[in-house]
Amino acid sequence: MKKFLLASLALASSVCAADIAIIAHPATAEVSMEEVSRIYMGRAGSLMPVNLPENNPLRDQFEQEALGRSPAQMKAYWSRLVFTGKGRPPVEVDSVAAKIEFVAANPNSLGYIPASEVTDQVRVIATLAN
Amino acid sequence: MIGVQIHMVSKIKQLSLGVLLAMSVTAAQAEIRFNGFASIQAGNTLSSSDRLYGYDNEVDFKNESLFALQAQADLGDRLSVTAQLMGRGANDFNAEFEWAYLTYELNSQTRINAGRLRTPFYRYSDFMDVGYAYDWARVPSSVYNLDFNNLEGISLVRFGQLGEVDSTLQLILGSYSGTTAITPAPADANIERIAGATWELVQGNFSARVAYLTGKLTLVDQDGELSGLLSLLEQSGFAATANQIRIDDASSAFMGLALGYDNGSLVLSGEVVRARVKNTVIPSQNGYYLSAGYRIDSFTPFVSFEQRDNDGKAEIYQALAAENPFRPAVTTVVESFTTKRDTWNIGSRYDFHPSAALKVQFSSQKDKVADRRDQLLTVGIDLVF
Repeated sequence: MKKFLLASLALASSVCAADIAIIAHPATAEVSMEEVSRIYMGRAGSLMPVNLPENNPLRDQFEQEALGRSPAQMKAYWSRLVFTGKGRPPVEVDSVAAKIEFVAANPNSLGYIPASEVTDQVRVIATLAN
Repeated sequence: MIGVQIHMVSKIKQLSLGVLLAMSVTAAQAEIRFNGFASIQAGNTLSSSDRLYGYDNEVDFKNESLFALQAQADLGDRLSVTAQLMGRGANDFNAEFEWAYLTYELNSQTRINAGRLRTPFYRYSDFMDVGYAYDWARVPSSVYNLDFNNLEGISLVRFGQLGEVDSTLQLILGSYSGTTAITPAPADANIERIAGATWELVQGNFSARVAYLTGKLTLVDQDGELSGLLSLLEQSGFAATANQIRIDDASSAFMGLALGYDNGSLVLSGEVVRARVKNTVIPSQNGYYLSAGYRIDSFTPFVSFEQRDNDGKAEIYQALAAENPFRPAVTTVVESFTTKRDTWNIGSRYDFHPSAALKVQFSSQKDKVADRRDQLLTVGIDLVF
């Protein structure tokens, strides 16, 4: 059932599903995908994660592929932390361009962008291939 | 925003001075972030004599509905202040501070909160009011049934990793004063020297949580009926019986264990709790629930079972001779603490909007002491914003 759902999800979104590059400042050391996932879930503070706005397709795709959660599940997850003094969600920027700029300017930050839009201002830590 | 601040000032007596000062500084110079959540829930029981969770056979939109607004201000240098104002329908939507605290981030893994906090008895204690955060219409009342939801004190939360396992450790110290019920009369409640620890471990799809809290509980009934009985017992030479009943600075302990599994589709959870108040009329309090749900796209149908099982301390009245004139009154008091209830719940969550979930839940509770069954249907919407 789950495989079927994932397959149909992949089919439905294959038009826009692109490879996602996880990016950081060029001075950043290696980060594992596990650590990236922890950072975006607010469970590790080693780097500062940067998000895109809610309902952004790339954000939905990243959260599904890297964190294994739907937008509604992510919202429920953060509401458990935000209203209880246990954490706060990542900062949000409006666009991929703004994200590249932010990551390039902040040595401890982490982001995700379409692999096709990577510039030499940032370092690619991992690629989620589709 | 100004309206909110004015309202806050009118309720400010519940805030510590430190929080108050921080708020006024903040309003002047720091950015304040607002978040909120709400539940609008309608319910009615299935037959005219059924009563459950405050509902009867008339459709009621107020009983479990609530609105909350949270303001959080960064004061810089890792210090922030948060206040959460909540209005419950059951309380005529009169807004009160459920949370009001300062947060100091010692480092990226450790934070200290001080002020009015939620007492972390249960797995869902912290966000039991945020309906959007879970699938049920309400947290299982057989387990989530202590009235002492909040405390004034200090808490340390530490996130960490033990190999593959994510760990969240919370230590808490504080005290509580408020009202509760000594079945069924209203009573003033105080818990001094609350000290506790909770530890939550998450690995992949599995999660586990343990909680242990202790405190010194004092309950005084407001109508004086129980206190009157205790005085009479003492004056009549039955001080020993009075001492077995009285709840005065009584050593209390709470233990909770929760397990969960969530693979994205299948959602399983269970929690078992036990509370003890030594040398008082309050018997050992035992409860548990088991819940299973399955996510199918935007729908999460679920079924859960809850049980509450408290046996009144019969030895208190059995120690009195059968012809003792106090025996009937003492028996009534002791047996009012006997609770045996089984509850089945079946329902579904439907994520129809990015910020809102619709929930339908049917609950059927069997009260084995009163030998009655009460059935309830609720439909509600939970929002976060």
